[in-house]
Amino acid sequence: METLLELKDRLKSFYSKYEIYMMPVLKFVLAFTLFLVINKNIGFMEQLDSLPIIIILALLCSILPPNVTVLFGVLLTLAHLYALSKEVFLTGLILFLLLGLLYFRFAPKEGYLAALTPICFVFRIPYVMPLAEGLLYKPYALFSVACGTVVYYFLDGVKMNKATLSSVAEEDSATSKFAAALNQLIGNREMYLVLATFVLAMLLVYAIRQMNVDHAWSAAILVGILVEFSIIFAGYMFLGISGKTFSLILGSAVSTGIAFLLKFLFFHVDYVRTERVQFEDDEYYYYVKAVPKISVTQSKKQVKKFNSKTSKPDNRKKERITREQLAEDMDIDSELLK
Amino acid sequence: MMGWTMIDEERVRQMTKMAIYEEGEGRQYIPMTQYFRHDYVGKELVKSVIGGTLAFALMCVVYLSFEMENFMDNINQIDLVQFVTGILVKYGIFMAVYLLITYVVYNVRYSDGRRHVKQFYEHLKKVNKIYEQEEK
Repeated sequence: METLLELKDRLKSFYSKYEIYMMPVLKFVLAFTLFLVINKNIGFMEQLDSLPIIIILALLCSILPPNVTVLFGVLLTLAHLYALSKEVFLTGLILFLLLGLLYFRFAPKEGYLAALTPICFVFRIPYVMPLAEGLLYKPYALFSVACGTVVYYFLDGVKMNKATLSSVAEEDSATSKFAAALNQLIGNREMYLVLATFVLAMLLVYAIRQMNVDHAWSAAILVGILVEFSIIFAGYMFLGISGKTFSLILGSAVSTGIAFLLKFLFFHVDYVRTERVQFEDDEYYYYVKAVPKISVTQSKKQVKKFNSKTSKPDNRKKERITREQLAEDMDIDSELLK
Repeated sequence: MMGWTMIDEERVRQMTKMAIYEEGEGRQYIPMTQYFRHDYVGKELVKSVIGGTLAFALMCVVYLSFEMENFMDNINQIDLVQFVTGILVKYGIFMAVYLLITYVVYNVRYSDGRRHVKQFYEHLKKVNKIYEQEEK
């Protein structure tokens, strides 16, 4: 346990020192994963489905604000949908516009949560999102996760039915294709199930971790994952969706692990970073670099030797000295004290 | 002491904290220092009216295109007045809910922001005090 705490302190000081380099790297990784996932799953436009393009896009994202990543993700998705068929593109456009108009202006800061959710879905660990959101954010961030979920199920539906939705399938009229595209969104019962479960789990996790009890965070994680697992499991049975139990069990287990990792990293830790600011007063310009004070508690090793041959005579010697000193102090014969 | 040519370390410390705050988390609370509560919430409500109306229009478009064939078949039997009233009622309900959410969210945010801004004023007061002491 002590080594873990030490590791945490080290991470903290590492972050405070190198935050300026770490953030672009993290942003790059997120953007690159997002674009790669989009291309691998719905890469209908071949011109965009290439590694150099997404690397350049991700590099741009690493220096721009986080929401640019979301914007690029949306544009990339729309381009791929356009290549599939105009009707699907239109549906996607309307969906993104609705999300943007109705929700995004409330919580623009949590935009990357909405981008992270579909990624987690693709990696089969979406169950971690409600837990992470409940542990680390304010309750209204749940809308971000909800948006991400809706977008994932829409795109998943498009991917599954790309044959019927593609421009090549000309026998269908435009209206019916449009209806089919929309149906991926409105008629998906699994989506409603997962959405409702996530919202419930997020609120529960948030409520429990706010409680003033011991191990509130751990309890929140466990209750959250159990609620998610049982509702989704029962829902799958009820809706007759089979073949997803294994990924549900595995995904829940991995999600729990990640949630505990998040707890380890963020529970009662304030990640402060080195700040560079400039300001002026009447006499000077100040260019200040403010480095946070962080004390890394290195373990102080105390070596205690028991019963070793070398230490024994020393101890005795000490003992004798004290005895003699005592005798001297008391002005008596030291033999009397034996 | 060299008097005014010396850099006052305490003042630099306070000003640094203020600058960090202003450039970091303080940036989001700027509106809360510039507006009164009703102006701030009102401004957001206006934005919501525009955004909500656009969103509702989009939803109508989606609905109509989804039901296009059905709609075209029955176009002659539809009572136009009833149809339009129905849409308007739905629009009213939708906007009421959306505006209520906006109202609550931005009121909470305003109170939150004011609380954070107070912290900033503490530093400001300290800097003022230092200036006052220097002038004496």
